[in-house]
Amino acid sequence: MTITEALRITQSVPRDARPFAVTLACGFTPLHLQTFLAAHLQQTLADRKVRITPGLYGNLVGTLETISDASPPDGLVIALEWPDLDPRLDYRGAGSWSVTAVNDIVASAQTMLHRIANALLRIPAGPRIALSLPTLALPPLFHAPGWQASQHELALEAGVLRFAADIAQAGRIAVINSQRLAEESPAAGRLDLKSDLYTGLPYTIEHADRLASQLALALVPPAPKKGIISDLDDTLWSGIAGEVGPDALGWDLASHAQLHGLYQKLLASLADSGTLIGIASKNDPAVVAKAFERKDLLLHPEQVFPIEVHWNAKSGSVARILEAWNIAADSVIFVDDSPMELAEVAAAHPGIECVLFPRNDYQAGLAMLRQLRDRCGKERVSKDDALRLESIRQGVAFREQTSGGAAPESFLEQIGAVVTFDFAAAAEPRVLELVNKTNQFNLNGGRYTQADWQKLVSSPGALLAAVSYEDKFGPLGTIGVVAGQLGGRTLVIETWVMSCRAFARRIEHQTLKMLFETTGASEIDFRFTPTAKNGPLRDFFATLLGEEPQSEFRLTRSQFELRCPALYHEVREMRRAQAHG
Amino acid sequence: MDETRQRLTNCFQVVFPELPQEAIATASTATVAAWDSVAAITLMNVIEDEFGFEMDLDDLADLDSFEKLYSYLQKRHQVA
Repeated sequence: MTITEALRITQSVPRDARPFAVTLACGFTPLHLQTFLAAHLQQTLADRKVRITPGLYGNLVGTLETISDASPPDGLVIALEWPDLDPRLDYRGAGSWSVTAVNDIVASAQTMLHRIANALLRIPAGPRIALSLPTLALPPLFHAPGWQASQHELALEAGVLRFAADIAQAGRIAVINSQRLAEESPAAGRLDLKSDLYTGLPYTIEHADRLASQLALALVPPAPKKGIISDLDDTLWSGIAGEVGPDALGWDLASHAQLHGLYQKLLASLADSGTLIGIASKNDPAVVAKAFERKDLLLHPEQVFPIEVHWNAKSGSVARILEAWNIAADSVIFVDDSPMELAEVAAAHPGIECVLFPRNDYQAGLAMLRQLRDRCGKERVSKDDALRLESIRQGVAFREQTSGGAAPESFLEQIGAVVTFDFAAAAEPRVLELVNKTNQFNLNGGRYTQADWQKLVSSPGALLAAVSYEDKFGPLGTIGVVAGQLGGRTLVIETWVMSCRAFARRIEHQTLKMLFETTGASEIDFRFTPTAKNGPLRDFFATLLGEEPQSEFRLTRSQFELRCPALYHEVREMRRAQAHG
Repeated sequence: MDETRQRLTNCFQVVFPELPQEAIATASTATVAAWDSVAAITLMNVIEDEFGFEMDLDDLADLDSFEKLYSYLQKRHQVA
């Protein structure tokens, strides 16, 4: 991106767009870093007007210490550099580089890191925080020649890494991956000394752009993909199963097929963190079944569901897998070694991301593995992630028992369903994650930044419930979130989402019943907006209203009670005392 | 309007979107409040993007009006 392009991006936003306020804390003149950061964020937040407010020049920690409860920004970006830890590390300063000064620099840097960490801890809840560790090399002030790391340099770097590890553990601060940044912006091309001395911006234009890009990704990360559908032959393993037989398939060093083994390990790791893994292969089912019995597979069969193996078109297999997962194609990646198969699937499923498995190109293979991790990676893994695949298996069993249609009353009555409403779950990461990734049962498609969410759930009269479910088939985990405000006898629901895994269990009815009973409201106003994907929610409300809603609407308690079917769930409530106390 | 003048005008529009078109030709640090030290550097980089060469920060202080920038660009063009 050039400066001109960045400026044009930031100027193309409608003037009445809702602002997205970002504080940029850095000790240097932010100049192009500010321009590029605004542009990269603007590209992600198309319906917002990104406004960057730079902090105090030469006083990064002071900027952090002045962020208050009164008007916290939507996001906070911190571009830490060595001079923020001690001004003697600044090329613009006149401080001594003497041998005795160097010992003191190390000590004062530790003190400053401690002060910054404390300031970060005191920042009020709400804004998400992205932090880059020093990206520029230390000045040549240490006693050792440049090819050798002096003990002082190592001590400074160790102190910064300890600081980063400690604050990242708190979970609220996204720390830029220095190794990835080094690939995007090589170290030798980062410092512009003349710019530093003349203007106070130490970065080259290219480095400012690359760093801003990474900071923007950390501040507003893209939603991870939900599933990967993989081919088998020459993809999950090396060899054609039907030709060489299940025992001759390879995925290890000995068979020169380690790339396939690495792919299996990555899929297994992603499955552990809740990414769905399915198989679409043109193959002999009996041979594949034998191959999946091999004990040395690195992707375990229980981590994969569904497995579509036959000789028909892969687009059909993908369609059935998407149906079993109940997610849209644009949430999924399809991996195959055949460009033709990728093209066939891409044509049938617009939006699906098709990735070629480069079986004989190791560099491309590594790039593919990293691409899959980037697309599916998560900041944290929750207990709900571990439940996802099992709950989908159970969902298929559930649908099979109900013949795919509406569940018979006797069946629903006997499955031992328990719905739990947690009224104090606003800060649970899973709650916002669910709101921001659910499409089909979603009141209006609204997506929230952490700061927006904090404002919504902490406003006067706010009500939030996280909904979880289990029955004799097993737990589904947290599958719903409803949030709004109560004013008098009217409840206004701003957001309501429910995972598609939880359909057909009348959980949505039980949620409405809870809302009426808990709040005593006689009517509920829904901030509904039709979207391209929220048909299931419209269908649900059509059963209560007699017609599909077209815009915001009101549901009265009597309307609901007239058309609500029998509910068989045991209802549990959690943390009500704290939530209402 | 010659091509260089037009391209320089475009650069001013990018850096100073609030500046009326008719005020660009007479723009200077004295007449444009938004033309501060930060805007001057941004303008320099936008001109570099547009004309495809690097400018020297040492020249920045003297290039404080549209006309001076235009003359500078013409000289650079002649040298090239």
